[in-house]
Amino acid sequence: MNPDSPPSRRSEVLQGTLEMLALKLLAAQPMHGWGLSLELRRISGEVFDVNQGSLYPALQRMLRRGWIRAEWRATENNRRARYYSVTREGRRQLEAEIADWERTSGAVNRVLRYALQGG
Amino acid sequence: MAWYHELVSSLGALFGSARREKEMTDEIAFHIDMETQRLAEAGIDASEARRRAVAIFGGVERHKDYVRDELGTSWLRDGWNDVRFAARSLRRRPGFTAIATITLALGIGATTTLFGVVKRVLLTPLPYGEPESLVMVWSAWKGFDQTWLSHDEWEGWRARIPAFADIGLFAEGSANFDGDAPERIRSARVQANVFPILGVQPILGRDFTAEEDRPNGPSVVILGYGLWQRRFGGDPSVVGREILVSGRATTVVGVMPADFRLPLDFGASGRTEAWFPLATDAAQNGAVPGPEFPSGGSSHGYHAVARLRPGMTAATANAQLRSLVAELEQQGYMANVGFRAYVVPIEEQITGRVRPVLLVVFGAVGFVMLIACANVAGLLLVRGESRRRELAVRVALGAGSRRLQRLLLAESAVLAALGAASGIGLAILGVRLVRATAPAGLPRVGDTAIDWSVLAFAVVAGAVAALLAGVLPALQATRIMPAGELKESGRGATSGLARLRWRQALVATEVALAVVLVTAAGLMIRSVRNLLAIDTGFRADGVLTMRLSTPSTWYPDSTGVVAFWNELQRRVAVVPGVERAGAVRLLPLATEIGDWGLQVDGYTPPPNQGTPGDWQVVTPGYIEAMGLTLVEGRRFDARDDMSGALAMIVNRAFVRQYIAGGRALGTRVRIGGSDSAQAYSIVGVVEDVHHGSLVSQVKPKFYVTLAQFARAPGNTQRSMSLVVRTDGDPAALAAPVRAAIRRLDSRLPISEVRTMREIVSSAISGPRFAMEALGLFGMLALALSAIGIFGIVSQVVASRAHEFGVRAALGATPAELVRLSIRAGVQQALVGLAAGLAIALLLTRTMVSLLQGVTPTDPLTLAVVVLVTGAVAVAASVGPARRAGRTDPARVLGSS
Repeated sequence: MNPDSPPSRRSEVLQGTLEMLALKLLAAQPMHGWGLSLELRRISGEVFDVNQGSLYPALQRMLRRGWIRAEWRATENNRRARYYSVTREGRRQLEAEIADWERTSGAVNRVLRYALQGG
Repeated sequence: MAWYHELVSSLGALFGSARREKEMTDEIAFHIDMETQRLAEAGIDASEARRRAVAIFGGVERHKDYVRDELGTSWLRDGWNDVRFAARSLRRRPGFTAIATITLALGIGATTTLFGVVKRVLLTPLPYGEPESLVMVWSAWKGFDQTWLSHDEWEGWRARIPAFADIGLFAEGSANFDGDAPERIRSARVQANVFPILGVQPILGRDFTAEEDRPNGPSVVILGYGLWQRRFGGDPSVVGREILVSGRATTVVGVMPADFRLPLDFGASGRTEAWFPLATDAAQNGAVPGPEFPSGGSSHGYHAVARLRPGMTAATANAQLRSLVAELEQQGYMANVGFRAYVVPIEEQITGRVRPVLLVVFGAVGFVMLIACANVAGLLLVRGESRRRELAVRVALGAGSRRLQRLLLAESAVLAALGAASGIGLAILGVRLVRATAPAGLPRVGDTAIDWSVLAFAVVAGAVAALLAGVLPALQATRIMPAGELKESGRGATSGLARLRWRQALVATEVALAVVLVTAAGLMIRSVRNLLAIDTGFRADGVLTMRLSTPSTWYPDSTGVVAFWNELQRRVAVVPGVERAGAVRLLPLATEIGDWGLQVDGYTPPPNQGTPGDWQVVTPGYIEAMGLTLVEGRRFDARDDMSGALAMIVNRAFVRQYIAGGRALGTRVRIGGSDSAQAYSIVGVVEDVHHGSLVSQVKPKFYVTLAQFARAPGNTQRSMSLVVRTDGDPAALAAPVRAAIRRLDSRLPISEVRTMREIVSSAISGPRFAMEALGLFGMLALALSAIGIFGIVSQVVASRAHEFGVRAALGATPAELVRLSIRAGVQQALVGLAAGLAIALLLTRTMVSLLQGVTPTDPLTLAVVVLVTGAVAVAASVGPARRAGRTDPARVLGSS
């Protein structure tokens, strides 16, 4: 594998998922990038060791698509940070992705169950 | 809606890029700070925490690149940055940049020039309405493959060939435009329907009416645009005015567009510039009125152009003509002479002959372009070699390989842009050169011009060059592994040699392409030499010719005409430098000569065949002035005047065909079909002289004097070419001879002042053009390949310096080292030579129609190609190889 290509294979697979997770978290409350990366790691029980290198490009991508918006605000410690929040379009996208995910994971689960019984 | 956000984001990114960059930097700094803080709180030492925070994040600069990629405009901004960077780095290496630019400029310039020619000649529609449904109509019979129609045929085809919507006749001639500066110009007589058939209208005034197009109709003329500008200053009020043409008051009724030409005006003999109504009818032509045909034959003397009905093709027209002709032959019309009638699509008629020449030359210039690209690719590869460390450092600092490729492609793009710009400059010069030297025999070549599509072609050629030259070096760059590269000591000898193979392949390709071009050029040189070696039957050197006409207004009878020519010849003969002077009806190699039916004593033609003889009317002195070789008998002299015994000179073909075995001298010949015509006696035989082209078959021909031709058959020959022989420069005689004519009769216009050398040259213009173009491109190709070989030997010498040092230390002599290096260049040349010869053998077959007396596998040509290519390869290798001979073992080995 070419060491120069941007996101690692794993995060490529998870790219769509990463966006969905980020949208879900941001839908609960606006966050800055670092906070988001922290939350992702914490909530997933460190399963998703989110490559921080792929988080910002993902945010940029979602900004460009109009799913989230960004604004500079002061943090609790009074530092300036860029906070991201979900737009209306982003919520629609989130719902669509969740529905999609449930369909896919449901199907995968059924296949796995069937395979286990059959095997 | 997504596209809307994309657009706003892209535009925002484009215009707010400085702010965007700062935001990105701030955001990442914030992230790293926070992460450092978190790690520190977890009990990690502060500086170690920071290092880890940065490490987790990955390369900061690389990361920024990823984010930029998501901005959606990165390609644009990066592209611009790459171009700026490329321009900077090219400026640092002016020598490299200059060579690469010049190489590309030559390739692009030559290709663009030739594209301009091809576009004008083959791609620009002819100046007619819907030219695809226009055809020329021809007759043919034994000995005449493409000749005039008769009035009977015109009426017949018009009424009985359903494929023709209409068919019109025209005939070429010439006219004197009288006045202060009398001028003789080529003109044509056209039927009233010819311009409508061609789909062309006058820009001023109107077409001829049917009323004007009949015998003894009013004297009217339509002017050509050039003539109108030249003689009348483009004055629109000239329409409707009466002017004096050939001594007759003639009304101007129209002016044709600037680009208008009659279909046969694209060839060697120039263009007609004024048009008169044909104004003839069946009676005048001794023809049967209406669509009926006489039994026997009729007299042929008109060109014909026809417009096909919608949906009809040339093939349908030809099929209809074939069946009608078969029917006519049964009824006895033109029976047993192999009579045929056929059409040729107008485009094929006009450009058919030049098409193969142009396609071969255009193919050749494409090769030059490829060689130029290969050369620049080679240069870029070498440059890539010397920059490997620089590039490796960039990779180590986080530049992606994509980024490197873009950078290198940007460099070749900048080079190609420079090359295209200079190439356009060269093409402008090239087009001027083409226009100035355009051979008259190649239709439309002289009209070549740079226009938008030609410029667009240059730009496309530049883009193609950028890709061709840039892709290989760019791909090479992706192989760069920083670790290996930076570890490699400064020498880098062996890996350099491995990558040398790409260059070797490039150089071999260049040589192969060059060999193909040089082979083609060699074949053309041989062909043109063969054409020039053809015995023309006359001595072209030192002969000046010009055309004069004695209109009936001022010279009403033949006595006056003969007296004029006698006096003119006497006066011209005393002009200093003139050896001999004479006059002739049609100069050798003139396009069409025509024939008379003859009766030769002792010769009975096969049933239903005539005894045609090409006819020449001359004055005594012509045979000497033109340098015709006398085979037997005598030339004309003063005794062959109006009252002397009728004397005829014939050519060898005449003797061979009509007097086989007998004695030519004294044989009696009657001109015309009538038994009662006065008989000429053959007094001399001259060598065959070609008409039409140098390779045409020579037909029986007879010469009689102007004075006696007026007695039998009784015609006055009014247009003659004056022929003057000198032992000096014939062109220098033009002014004094003109002055002599003017002193005799200042009213007579003089035209077509040309040397016989020029006439011979224009007869071989097609092959000669191909030869000159291929020769030029072949030399260019060899020069470019030589640069390539020079480069590769230099590289070999440089990269093997260490090895050579060792060899020198072990006792190798300088001569051995030089030989070793030369071998590196010659090896590639040999590979290229072998491949090139194989390709040449395949491709030169397409040139057969251009070749004369030489086959594509001509051993002499191939041998010379091998020698020349070998010599160039060795010569190009010697310079850099000599450096190898100067290898100083102490220094080379000490430096490592």
